[in-house]
Amino acid sequence: MSNQNVTDYKDKLFRVVTFGAALVVLVVIVGIFASLVEQSLPAIRKFGFFRFLTTPTWDPVHEVFGAASSLYGTIVTTVLAMIIAIPVSIGIAIFMTELCPNFLKGAMGTAIELLAAIPSIIYGMWGLFTLAPIMGNTVEPFLQHTIGKVPYLGSLFSGTPLGIDILTASTVLSIMIIPFMASIARDTFTLTPQVLRESAYGIGATRWEVIRNVVLPYSKGGVFGGMVIAMGRALGETMAVAFVLGNKHQIAHSLLDASATITVTLANEFTEADSNMYMASLFYLALILFVMSFLTLAAAKFILKERAKS
Amino acid sequence: MNKQIELEKGRVLIRVQNLSFSYGSVRAVKNISMDVAKNSVTALIGPSGCGKTTFLRCFNRMHDLYPGNRYEGEILMEGRNLLGKDVDITELRAGIGMVFQKPTPFPMSVFDNIAYGLKLKGIRNRTELSHRVEAALKHAALWDEVKDRLKSGASGLSGGQQQRLVIARALAVEPKVILFDEPTSALDPISTSKIEELIFRLKEEITVIIVTHNMQQAARISDYTAFMYVGELIEFNETDVIFTNPDVKLTEEYITGRFG
Repeated sequence: MSNQNVTDYKDKLFRVVTFGAALVVLVVIVGIFASLVEQSLPAIRKFGFFRFLTTPTWDPVHEVFGAASSLYGTIVTTVLAMIIAIPVSIGIAIFMTELCPNFLKGAMGTAIELLAAIPSIIYGMWGLFTLAPIMGNTVEPFLQHTIGKVPYLGSLFSGTPLGIDILTASTVLSIMIIPFMASIARDTFTLTPQVLRESAYGIGATRWEVIRNVVLPYSKGGVFGGMVIAMGRALGETMAVAFVLGNKHQIAHSLLDASATITVTLANEFTEADSNMYMASLFYLALILFVMSFLTLAAAKFILKERAKS
Repeated sequence: MNKQIELEKGRVLIRVQNLSFSYGSVRAVKNISMDVAKNSVTALIGPSGCGKTTFLRCFNRMHDLYPGNRYEGEILMEGRNLLGKDVDITELRAGIGMVFQKPTPFPMSVFDNIAYGLKLKGIRNRTELSHRVEAALKHAALWDEVKDRLKSGASGLSGGQQQRLVIARALAVEPKVILFDEPTSALDPISTSKIEELIFRLKEEITVIIVTHNMQQAARISDYTAFMYVGELIEFNETDVIFTNPDVKLTEEYITGRFG
């Protein structure tokens, strides 16, 4: 074999190996999706798509299963977590890029990264043993006595405050996603060209006006993408929520009620799933979560790509 | 060896007295004294790193945005020291506009770009806003090109149009002075000549200080020229004198292209 041939051969081998590695990713995704579909087929056949999505009953004894209650819990905890996390994260990002003295910047950045590095089970334990009593004894009674008195809005805070409920779960979730949102927002804020800020200052804008009218509009695409990525994380979070949500299959109207999310249901109930239909319904739930997360991430990617184009 | 003229009192808008500026331990502007004549164009020239942009950014205290800045001396405008502690910097910057090397339209529509500074000044009335936006755009010779696309994003304009938009934005708030920091260095020759014509015309109403690398540009549009070298003001005189008969040898060497 000539030298040239050896090089060609190595080149080809290299290509095959790397292509194989890349292929693994695709195979895994398609494989997981296919096995989810396959395992949930009995439930899909029995309950259909829209009926499964809209049935709030989750009754293992009579084998009547619907995703509505856990889907509701997933969406409500995620949305509430986003409502708490978005302003806080943007506040953190603004402080870090625009106001923070230089010596604090490094420490703040590290603190945020550490927050992201805490395993979710620890958040769950902390939520159960520290946050839940505080919420149940102090925060929630306070909310009941203030916002609870407002017509319409008040019904969101009705019931007995126990601390193991949607509000506590969302609070824990929000603390978990804040580091992601804040660091993505910070990175996009720093991409705002310095000269653009200067020209706003140059016509007499104050610091707040520069942030509101130049930095925020300039980085809204990136910030939005970061939010969607954080949302995907909140949708899939299991351990932290499992500790403080109460795991009750109901469509709760009060934020002080227990609820269940898809992930928590899956984590809790596989060991108890004694019938084929129970098992298949759990897989069906997992399939729904898979598709939701996939769509969320795809949307975020799409938005960020559109942003990069313009 | 430095050589500079003093202007008659009545024509002076800004008097710089013993101005030094340092950030950290670097002294970038060294003991400059110079007059800026009202309704004129004053050019700051000199090789890269000579401190001319740093000097320019003292006039609207842009350096205050960054830590470690230190001003010494005075910049007197109509008797008031711009570097004084009691100066409202926001108000100061509204009265002294600035245009940068690269066009810096805000991420908003053409109209809103101009209206932005006006709104900051507290003008909310829609009719007045649109009158003043139109006036500013006409002033910057941009109205005919953008009047049909006021509502579309400013980033869709060409580089030269964006730069004139930025000038219109600065003009809209009716400043007394506009500082230009190499405003044409990112533009093609046609856009450049449009901006030069504009600057030349502007001095009827306002006072212009311009930093430029382009000596022909300084010669074409300015009335006075200051030549700086390593942070010092080497020579300041009427532009014609600087370019035809400079007093200092260093100035002559620079304008004839022997260094820089």
